[in-house]
Order: sequence, then C-alpha cells, then structure tokens
Amino acid sequence: MKYALVSGGSKGIGFAIASALARRKFNLILVARNAEDLDDAKTKLENSHPVIVETLSLDLKDNEAAEKIGNWCSERNLPLSVLCNVTGIGGSADYLSNSLNESLYMYRLNMEPAISLTHHLLPILKKNQPAYILNVSSMAGFAPIFIKNIYSASKSAMIFFSYSLRYQLKADRISVSCLCPGPVFTRPAIEKETLAQLGKFGKWMAVSPAKIGETAINRTFKKKMLIIPGTLPSAVSILIRILPRHFVCWLYYKLSKKTG
Amino acid sequence: MKAQPGSRKYRFHYDLHFLSVQHQHMKKISLLIAAFLFVMGVFAGPGGKDRPDTENSILVSREIIDTGRFKTKPISEKQTGADSAYALVAGGSKGIGFAIAEALAKRGYNLILIARHLDSLKAAKNELEYLYGIHVEIIPCDLSREESATDIAHWCIERNIHLKMLCNVAGFGGSRDYLTLPLDSLRYMINLNVGSAMALTLTLLPLLEKNAPSYILNVGSMAGFAPIPVKNLYSATKSAVVFFSYSLSYQLKEKNISVSVLCPGPVFTKPEIKEDTQKKLGWFGMQMAVPPEKVGEVAVRETLNGKLVIVPGTLSKLTSIIIRILPRKWIVSIYGKAGDKK
Repeated sequence: MKYALVSGGSKGIGFAIASALARRKFNLILVARNAEDLDDAKTKLENSHPVIVETLSLDLKDNEAAEKIGNWCSERNLPLSVLCNVTGIGGSADYLSNSLNESLYMYRLNMEPAISLTHHLLPILKKNQPAYILNVSSMAGFAPIFIKNIYSASKSAMIFFSYSLRYQLKADRISVSCLCPGPVFTRPAIEKETLAQLGKFGKWMAVSPAKIGETAINRTFKKKMLIIPGTLPSAVSILIRILPRHFVCWLYYKLSKKTG
Repeated sequence: MKAQPGSRKYRFHYDLHFLSVQHQHMKKISLLIAAFLFVMGVFAGPGGKDRPDTENSILVSREIIDTGRFKTKPISEKQTGADSAYALVAGGSKGIGFAIAEALAKRGYNLILIARHLDSLKAAKNELEYLYGIHVEIIPCDLSREESATDIAHWCIERNIHLKMLCNVAGFGGSRDYLTLPLDSLRYMINLNVGSAMALTLTLLPLLEKNAPSYILNVGSMAGFAPIPVKNLYSATKSAVVFFSYSLSYQLKEKNISVSVLCPGPVFTKPEIKEDTQKKLGWFGMQMAVPPEKVGEVAVRETLNGKLVIVPGTLSKLTSIIIRILPRKWIVSIYGKAGDKK
C-alpha cells in the first residue's frame, strides 16, 4: 500500500486533501504542530476509510523538522509516493500592521517548509515512481494584493518554485502540481472577511474545502500543473494573469477603498 | 506627486542640458568650478595629504577618471549644500549596489553602505568620498540575520539621520540553486533576498516617513517575471520581491513614499556571470547585458522619477514585456532548455 505525506494536514485544506487521498486508499502521514488536532484528524480518517494514519507533531518552522521527517520515513522504508506541502499561514493582518517578527514568520512559513520537505523527501519519492508533489499556493500568487502583501508575495514564490521544480523533476518521473484556490471558507473569520471585501461576488467565488481537496488530488494524479478548483475562480484567475499587473493592482486598490 | 520636483532638484547638479536651457550664466560658472575641481582631482588627488586611501582604491579611482565617467560630475556648491540628505544602500560595496551608490553620490547624497565585508566597504567608502566629496558611513553586518535590520534602524534613528532613500540591493544568487545547493544556502538566499528587504523597510519606515517625500528602491530581477528552472529559488525569491514592491507602493502611496523595483537582465558584475550568460543565452544574452554603471544610473534616475518597475536597457525592456505576455509554460520550457546547456 502506498503512502502520502500531508504537511499541515490536520485542518482546513490540508485535511480535505488528506481525506481525498484516504478515499483513494492511500495510507497517510500527517504533519502539524498541534497534537490534539492531529489525533482528531487521525480518528476521523481511520473511522471512515480503511487506511493507516501516522501522525507527526512537529513545528515546520524549525530547521531540523524536515530532516527529522525525512529520517523517520526512510527508517521505516515507507513507500511514499505523494507529498503535499500545505503548511502556510495568512490572515487579514499583514505587512505594516504586523510586527517585524510576525511578518518574517509568515514569509518563512509559507516558503521554507515546502522547500526543505521536498529537499529531504526527494530521495524517497524517486524510489517510488511515479510520484507526485502538490504545493499549495493561492490565487493571491497571480497578482499582488497589497493588503495581503507578504502572503501574496510568498504565494507567488511558491508558484514559481512549483513551475521550476516541475521542469527539474520531469526526467525523474515526478509530477509537480500547484493548487491555487480562490476564497475557501475553512474558518468563519475567512468567510466574514471575504464577504466584507467582495460581497456577493465573494460568495460565488468560494469553493467548499471538501471540493478543493477532491479536485486537487484528482488533477494532481492527472499531472496538471496549475490547479484552480471551481469554474468562476478559473475564469477569474485567467483574467488576472492576462490583464496587465498594474491594472490588476489598481483594481484591488479600488476594491479595498470601496469597502474601507 | 511631489516626487518630480524633488528629483529635478537633485538632477540639477549634473545635468548640463538642463542647465543650458534655463541658467545661461550658471552653466559657465559651474563648468569653471567643475573644470577646476577636475584638474584638482587629477593632479592633487593621489598626492593629497589627508586621503586615507589604500593603494587599491586610488587605482580604481584613476581608472574611472580615465574612462571619462568623471565628466558628468561637476561638483557645484549646491551639491555639497545638500549634505544633510542620506541614502542607505544595503549591499552597496560591490556590483549593482555600488553602482547605485555611485549614482546617488553623483547627485550629492551622503551614503550609508551596508555589506558583510569591512574591506570592500572601506574601499567603496574611500572611492566615493574621494570622487564625489560626500560623506559615507559604513556598517558591516550580515543582513540575512533577523536582528540586523533592527540594529541598523536603531543606529540611524539614534543619529537622527535625514534618510531620504532606502535601496535594498543585498541578494544572493548563482548559476544553479535548488537540487544543487545545500539547504542552508537556500535558507540564506530566502532570508537575504526577501527577508532583509522586508525587515529593513519596516524598521526604517518611521524615518522615511518623517523625511517624506522619500524613496524605496528594491532590487528584483528579470528572473522575477517568469520562473527559471535552473535558478529555481533565485527566481522565486525575486518574484516575491517584485510582488512585495507592487504591494508596498500602494501601501505607502498616501505617505508620500515612492517605491520602485529594479529588474535588470544580465549584468556582468562578476566574470562568472558573463561566462554563464554566454553559455546559456549566447549572442542574445550578450546583447541584452547592460554595464553595472548604467544599471545604477538608470535605477536612481527612474526611482527619483517615481517609476515602479525599472528595466534598464532597450532590449531587456522589450524582452521583459514579452516574458510577461507569453504563457508561463512556454517561458519555463524555453528557459529550461537554455539552462540544460552544459
């Protein structure tokens, strides 16, 4: 039986991705900070699917965490063939309203875990071809959203990383995908914020976490590069990428002015 | 937009064309002063008594005079009068950072240079003070460390520096990175290329706000417009810098602080870069290359004009537009194939 590792897999999009993998009979390794959340996720997944769920309670912002995970997997010689880098943080407070430490933490947590986990798990993935890597970015990575400055910048870096990695690993039969969802209401706070900023449009754009997870895994196995769940978000993301960046930024600016 | 008049004021000192249009007498006087200082600079310079130059930096200075770059620099009285305005250049001892520092010095800015190595900082200080008669402060420190920005800001605020411009030039890159370099170097790259810019901007913002209208210049790269597989992380971090600058320009709009991002194509600041470009991009790459001095000059000029994205060189500008218009998939595979050339 094959194994899949989901970092940040105890809640939100990570958990949805883990469920979609469990439905496809993948055993899971979930990595997250909070041990209680991990146990909850483990019980839920093992009760509803015939899979084994391993949990690792680690803080991925620590430099050694990724190496520990790599060693843990290679010691047990697990047939790992899917790696999902979901760990990340966002929020309505960003650059200028956050302290320096919070800003740097957000930037680093959105970039480093994916980079170091991929680095340490690549030898194992290479042994279990065909393998898949799924990085989670956001639609904010397509054009700068100034009120989410650092979030947007780090997510753009994630998209760049995925594009380059996909090319670099082509010969190794490892397919790299990047999930770029629009608004996903994983927490009530996100729903409130989106509705305040985008109104009805935000409601139409939103996709449920379960659907995000299902679409993400479905298309990862189809070896798609960019994965944007939902019809409206796909259309919007195409527009965002085609229109000049100055114009898109200006639109975001006007939008935020309107809502105050 | 108060940026324009501010910028013209600073351009006044070196722009002879501008002088010829509006100030007929000033031109003669400033030319006389310039010629006098030029002669003084050439003859009295190396033998001058209070010049703590090392042998090395004098040699560099002479080279610059010989290549004729000196002629654009008539030091007028006004220029030394603008002495209170400071610009901070992170990574200003060598390469593009030094070129930017020099372009600022030409406009009469006093400088605060930050880099890791004291030797190269001292050489830069001596050269710039000697050539442009400005005041240069140097702070050796590693900008990838989180405390650095706070320390620097503290240093500046303590001295109540009249900071008008912040240039985040410090960065790290190479011909290959992800899958080749060790993880520690990659972390260093992440922290230096983006983290340092975010940290310095945040900590120095109070000072810039106080001295508004002021300017922030971040250094991205053309690699920040589309992913380059062999320079995976370099490209990713530079894209983050570009995004950061776009967002920041909107965030600081109302505070009268103008934000720019410099996205040069190939710049041969080191022989390895020239070799690498020749190998991967061939003739086209060589045509695209812009000398560091020009990059610095264009960067400072356009920053003072309040331009957001700055791409020096006509061919680079054209290429950068095409890169941004074409689908990313195509660009990645074109870059990928070019990068695979051994």
